[in-house]
Amino acid sequence: MPNSQEMNPQKQGLLARFKAMPLDSAPRTITVAVVLCLFCSMIVSGAAVMLKPQQQLNKVLDKKVNILKVAGLYEPGVDVAKAFEKIEPRLVDMQTGKFTDAYDVNTYDQRTAAKDPSMSFEPANDIASIRNQAKVASVYLLRDDAGKITRIILPVHGYGLWSTLYGFIALNADGNEVSAFRFYEHAETPGLGAEVDNPKWMALWPGKQVYDLDGDVAIGVNKAGSGVHHIDALAGATLTSVGVDNLIKFWMGEQGFKPFLENLKNGDA
Amino acid sequence: MAESKKEMLLDPLVDNNPITLQVLGICSALAVTSSLQVAMVMALAVTSVTALSNFFISCIRNQIPSSIRIIVQMVIIASLVILVDQILKAYLYEISKTLSVFVGLIITNCIVMGRAEAFAMKNPPIPSFIDGIGNGLGYSLILLLVGVIRELFGTGSLFGVQILQTVNNGGWYVPNGLLLLPPSAFFVIGLLIWAFRTWKPAQVEARDFKIMEAEGGH
Amino acid sequence: MGLRNQFDKYAPLFEKGGKYEKYYPIYEMVDTLVYTPKTVTSAAPHARDHADLKRVMTYVVLATIPAILFGLYNTGYQTNSAIAAMGLDVVPGWRAWILSTLGIGFNPDSIFANVVHGLLYFLPIYITTLAVGGVIEVTFATVRGHEVNEGFFVSSMLYTLILPASTPLWQVGLGIAFGVIIGKEVFGGTGKNFLNPALVGRAFLYFAYPASMSGDTVWTPVDGFSGATALGVAAAEGLQGLAAQGITWTSSFLGTIQGSIGETSVVAIAIGGVFLVAARIANYRLILGCLIGMIGLSTLFNIVGSDTNPMFAMPWYWHLVTGGFMFGLVFMVTEPVTAAMTNKGRWIYGALIGVMCILIRVVNPAFPEGMMLAILFGNIFAPLIDYYVVKANISRRMKRHA
Repeated sequence: MPNSQEMNPQKQGLLARFKAMPLDSAPRTITVAVVLCLFCSMIVSGAAVMLKPQQQLNKVLDKKVNILKVAGLYEPGVDVAKAFEKIEPRLVDMQTGKFTDAYDVNTYDQRTAAKDPSMSFEPANDIASIRNQAKVASVYLLRDDAGKITRIILPVHGYGLWSTLYGFIALNADGNEVSAFRFYEHAETPGLGAEVDNPKWMALWPGKQVYDLDGDVAIGVNKAGSGVHHIDALAGATLTSVGVDNLIKFWMGEQGFKPFLENLKNGDA
Repeated sequence: MAESKKEMLLDPLVDNNPITLQVLGICSALAVTSSLQVAMVMALAVTSVTALSNFFISCIRNQIPSSIRIIVQMVIIASLVILVDQILKAYLYEISKTLSVFVGLIITNCIVMGRAEAFAMKNPPIPSFIDGIGNGLGYSLILLLVGVIRELFGTGSLFGVQILQTVNNGGWYVPNGLLLLPPSAFFVIGLLIWAFRTWKPAQVEARDFKIMEAEGGH
Repeated sequence: MGLRNQFDKYAPLFEKGGKYEKYYPIYEMVDTLVYTPKTVTSAAPHARDHADLKRVMTYVVLATIPAILFGLYNTGYQTNSAIAAMGLDVVPGWRAWILSTLGIGFNPDSIFANVVHGLLYFLPIYITTLAVGGVIEVTFATVRGHEVNEGFFVSSMLYTLILPASTPLWQVGLGIAFGVIIGKEVFGGTGKNFLNPALVGRAFLYFAYPASMSGDTVWTPVDGFSGATALGVAAAEGLQGLAAQGITWTSSFLGTIQGSIGETSVVAIAIGGVFLVAARIANYRLILGCLIGMIGLSTLFNIVGSDTNPMFAMPWYWHLVTGGFMFGLVFMVTEPVTAAMTNKGRWIYGALIGVMCILIRVVNPAFPEGMMLAILFGNIFAPLIDYYVVKANISRRMKRHA
C-alpha cells in the first residue's frame, strides 16, 4: 500500500478508502455482506410484490376451475371467469344449516378458517379424521335462467391412507342425487388409492342417491353391494376407499351438510 | 481458458455430466421426474439459476471476502431461486403446484453451489455463464431421460398425452406403478450411469482394491 | 465314462486359446452340473468340506420339494373349488381345454385333478422364470467370464413359489429380470449379492403392479372369483373375520387356503426346513432369532391392544401360519449369502426380521404382509450387524489382553 495514503487518510473519498482495505478485513466484509443483502432483498421483495396480484388470480382461478369441473361446465380453453358467472358462491353456517353473510364470500377461505381455532370447532364424531371443521363452509349454487337452483356443489375432505383428500360433490336440485364427484388434491398411492382420479371410477358416482327414503345417509363406498346407494370400492385400495366412504358419510350427515340441504329443500336456508 | 466455449457447453452433457459422473443434484431428480412436463420446467429452472448465479457471482468474484464467500454465494443463489419460484407461481401455476417445495430446494442443489464455487469464483462472467448453461443442460438431459422413461412406462403417456393405452381405460398397457414412486428414479439413474460408463469407459473409476484370485482359474 | 470323455474331447475348444473361449462359462456350467469341478483352490485359506456351493444349492432345491408338491395340489384345489363354487359348466382357457380333453376334469375332491391343474399353472410360471432368468444369467456370466452356478436354480424356484398362481407371465418375466439384474448382477453376481434376488423380483412386482399383486382378489386364477388372503381379511376385520371366511388355524397350518403357490402350507415348508437344518445348510440361529423376534413383538402387541386396529390382537401362532412368514423363515432368512455371517449377528439378524415383519403387518396400514419387506430390510442391515459384532469382539479381546 502506498505510503501517501496512510499519511493522509482523511483527504481521500470513502470509496477509495474502502478499496484500499484488504479484502478480508472486518469492515469490508461487513460492508459487502450488507450491500449484497440489501440489494438481493430489494430484488426479491420487488418481484414478490409485483407478481402477487397475478399469483392470487391464479389461486382463485384454480379453485374456480375445480368447481367448474365438478359442475360439468369446464372444457379446456373455456373462459373461466365468464363460465363462473353462472355459479353463485354462498357461505353456510354449519351449525344452523343456513346461509350466512358473516364473511365476504369472495375472500373467505374455508381451509384457512379450519386451521383458525376461533373460526372452527372439533367435530363430535370425527369419522372423516378432519380434526377441525370450519364453522362456515363455502358452497356453490348453479341456477338456471329462471333463477331455480339446478346444482348444489359442496366441498368435502377427509383422511384417506396417506393424505387428506380434498374434493367437491355436486348434487342435483333435489339435494339427493349425485351429479358429479371429484377430488382436486390428495397424495394417495399411485395406481391404487390415486385411482380416485380415474374417470372410470368417477363415472360411478352420477345418479347415485345420497339419502334413503327415511332421509338417512345411505351412500357408501364398499366392496360388495349394488343399487342406487352403492359405489364400488377401488380395487386394492381398501383404506383409501374406507376414507372416501367416511368422508362422504361425514359431510352428508348431520355434522355436515344435511341440515343445510334440508333447509334448502324447505326453502328456509 | 484452454477450453473452447463449445466444449464448455457440451462437455457436461455426457463426458462430465453432473448427475451421472459427479452424482450431484440427485434429490430433485428423484422427486420431480414422474411427469415429463414437470421435469422439463424443473430442468429449465435449474439451468437458468445455475447460469445466472454463475454469472453474478463471477461479476463480483473479486469483491467477495473469502471468509464469507459461501454465504455470499448462497444469498445470490437463494435470491434467484425465490425469483424463479415467484415467476412460476405467477405464470405456471399448475406446474408450480406439483413442483411445490422442490423449486425452493434448488438452493441446496449441489450442482448450482458446486459450479459457483468451482468455476465462477475463478473465471470471468461470460465463460461462467456458459459453464452454468452447460451444466444445467447436463442436468436437464438426465432429468428428461428419466422423465420420459418414468412417465411413458409409469402412466403410458408423454407430456400428459396418452401414448400407450392403459388397461384401466380399455387399452392393453398395464402401467408400472413402481415408476411413479420416487425410488424408481434411483434405479433409472443407476441404469443410465451404467449405460454411460459402458459407452464411455473412461468414466469408470479405478477399483479401490483388487479381489485376490482364489482359484486356479481357467 | 463315455460322457466324461465327451466333455474332455470338447474341453480344448472352450479353454484359453480355443475356438469358443468366450463361451467357456456355458461349457463349465454343463460340465460341473454333472461332474465335480476339477479345479482346486490354490490360495489360502484351504477350507475342507464335502459340501461345495453346488451341493448346497442342490440341497435347497431338494428342500423345496414338499412345498412344491403341496403348492401344486393347493393351487389346483383352490381353482377347482372356485370353479365348483361358481357352478361353471364351461371353463374357458387352454388349461381347461387340456384338462377336459384328457378327461381329468375339475373335481376339487380328486387329488390327481388338483395336482394336474396346479401343475398347469406352476409350469408356465417356472419355465418363464427359468428362460428369462437363465438367458440373463448366462449372458452376464459369458461377458464377465464367471461361472454359471446352481444359485440361479434356487432363486428361480423360490421366486416361482412366492408368486400368486394368477400372475401374468409377462409380469413373471419382468420380475425375475429385475431381480436377477438389480438384485444380483449389478453387485457382481452370485455370492456378492446382498439382497435376495427372488425377493427383489417379487418386491418389484409388488410395487409395480400393486393392483394385481397385493392379494385382494387375485390369488385364485378364475375370472370373476374374488376372495381375500387370510392376512388381508385379518387386517380388515380381525380374527372374527377369518372365522367368518371359514379360515381356521388348522387349514392355515395345513395350507389349504388361498395364497402364493408355495407359501400356504406350514407343514410342507417345515419338512423342508428340518431337512435344511439337519443338513447344516440352514443355520438354526437365524430361524430361532426370527421366531423370537416375531413372537416377542406380537405378544407385546397382544398385551398393548388397540380398539381400532384388529391386527394388534392377532396372536403369534396365527402370524406363523399366515402369509409368507413360514416360507420366508425357512428359505429366505436362512439364505447364507444375504444373511449375517457371525453367530451373534445371526441372532440379531433373525430377530430384526421377525420384529420388522410384525411391525409392518400390524402397524403399517398399507401392506397386510410384511415378511418380504422385512427380509429385504434385514438383508440391507446384515453387513452392518456383522461389522459391529466383529468390532465388539475385537474390543473385548483387546481389553482381555490389555
